[in-house]
Amino acid sequence: MRFKRLDQARPFVTLAIIAAAWLIVPTVVKTFARASFFELTAPVAVAASRARDLQEYWGLRLHSEHELIEAGRDLARLTASYEFGVQQNSELRAEITRLESLLRLPSLPAYRYEHARVARRDFSGWWQRIVIRKGRNFGISVGAPVVFTGGVVGRVTEVHATTAVVELISSPNVRLAGAIEGDSRTVSFQGGINPTFGPPMGVVESLPLDVIVTPNAPKRLVTSAYGGVFPPGLTLGLVTRASGGSEGLFQTGDVKLDERLGSLTEVTVLVPVNKE
Amino acid sequence: MRRTLVLFATLLLLWALVSQLNDALAPLRVHVFAGGLFVVFAALTQPRRPGLAATLLAGLVCDAHAPVMFGLHLLLFAAAHALLFHVRERVAREDAISITVVALLTNLALFLLLSFTQIHTSPAPASAWPRLIADLAASQLLLALVTPWFAALQARALGVARVPRFDLA
Repeated sequence: MRFKRLDQARPFVTLAIIAAAWLIVPTVVKTFARASFFELTAPVAVAASRARDLQEYWGLRLHSEHELIEAGRDLARLTASYEFGVQQNSELRAEITRLESLLRLPSLPAYRYEHARVARRDFSGWWQRIVIRKGRNFGISVGAPVVFTGGVVGRVTEVHATTAVVELISSPNVRLAGAIEGDSRTVSFQGGINPTFGPPMGVVESLPLDVIVTPNAPKRLVTSAYGGVFPPGLTLGLVTRASGGSEGLFQTGDVKLDERLGSLTEVTVLVPVNKE
Repeated sequence: MRRTLVLFATLLLLWALVSQLNDALAPLRVHVFAGGLFVVFAALTQPRRPGLAATLLAGLVCDAHAPVMFGLHLLLFAAAHALLFHVRERVAREDAISITVVALLTNLALFLLLSFTQIHTSPAPASAWPRLIADLAASQLLLALVTPWFAALQARALGVARVPRFDLA
C-alpha cells in the first residue's frame, strides 16, 4: 500500500526535484542554455524568411514589362525628390556642425544605418518582438534603436550570431522618453495595449495639462532629445486622447501606433558609431 | 534516448509550425499558444523519463524565444506533465477525443498561468484581457483542430524510429 502511494507521488517528487534544481542552477548556465537553444532554432526562422523572399521574387517575376516600366518611372520621380532632400540635408548638417563648433556644443550621436529583413514576428498579448536577419556578424549591439519609414520600431534586446531580437514599441516592456511635436517638454511613453484586429496602442504619461488633445485633433508624439539612444524627432505615434491623471498635475493619454508595425518586412538598425 | 530524441524532434516541428503561423497572424494581432500540445502526448502515452525529458527540452526552446524568466515554460510544462502523468490511468489514452479534451484543458491552464505571470507588465492590465481572451479562443480552436493530427504524427514518428508507441505498463 505504502509502495503504491510512493509510486503515485513519483511524478510530483520529480517535479519538485526539477524545480529545486532549476532554482540553484547558476545564472551563467541559464544564459548559456538560452543562447544555445535560440541558436539551435534560429535557422528555422531564417530559412522560412528566405523561402518567403524567394516566393515574393518569383511572384514579382510574373509582372509584365509594362508594369516594370511604370514602376521605374515612379521610382525615378521619387529619387529626384529625395535627391533634392539630400542636398538640403547636407546643407543643414553643415550648419549644425558650424553652430556646434561656434557654441562649443557636444556633437549629436552618429549612427550607421544597417538595413535588415524581418525573419519572424511574434505579436502576442504579452509581448511584441521581431527577429531580424542580422546580428553580431553586422556589428549590431544591444540597445540599438530600430526604425522604419513610419518612425520608431523598437530597440534591440538580444544579439545572436546571425540574428537579433527587437522589442517593439507596442510591447509593454518598452518605456521611452518622448515629446509632443513642437514642444520641448518630456513625456513618458509605454507600449502595451494591442487589441485584436485593431491598431497597436501605447500609453503616454506626464503629459502637461495645457496640451489639449482630442480624437479629431491628435498630436504627433516623437522621440525626445533626452530619450537615451533614440535620435530626437522620430515618430512614435499619434496621441489621440488625454485626460487628467490621478494626482491632477499631469495628464495620461492613449497613443495610436503605426498599423504597419504588425506587417514589417524590413527595418533599419541605427548602430551607434564611436567617433573617437 | 532514441524515444526522447524522436519526441523532441516532433515538438521542435510543432514549435516551428506554430511560430510560422504566429508570424502570418501578426498583422491581424492574433496569436496562438499551443503549450498543451507540447505536454499531452508525452504525459499520457509515454514512459515518465523520456516523455518528461522531451517536454522539458521543448519548454527550453519556448523559453529561449520569449522575454520571460528563463525556465518559466520549463517549469509550467513540467508541472502539467506531472499532473497529467498522475491522472493518465483515468483517461482513454488511445481515444483522439479524450486526448483533444485533455490538451484543451491543459492549454487553458497553461495560458492562464502564463498570462498571470505577464499581465503585471501591462500599463492597463484590465484592457489587456480582451486581447488575451481572443488569443485564447484562437488557440483553443487551433488545438481542437490539430491535436488528433499531432498525436498521430508523434505516434507515427515513434513507429518509424522503431520505438514502441505506447507505454502500456
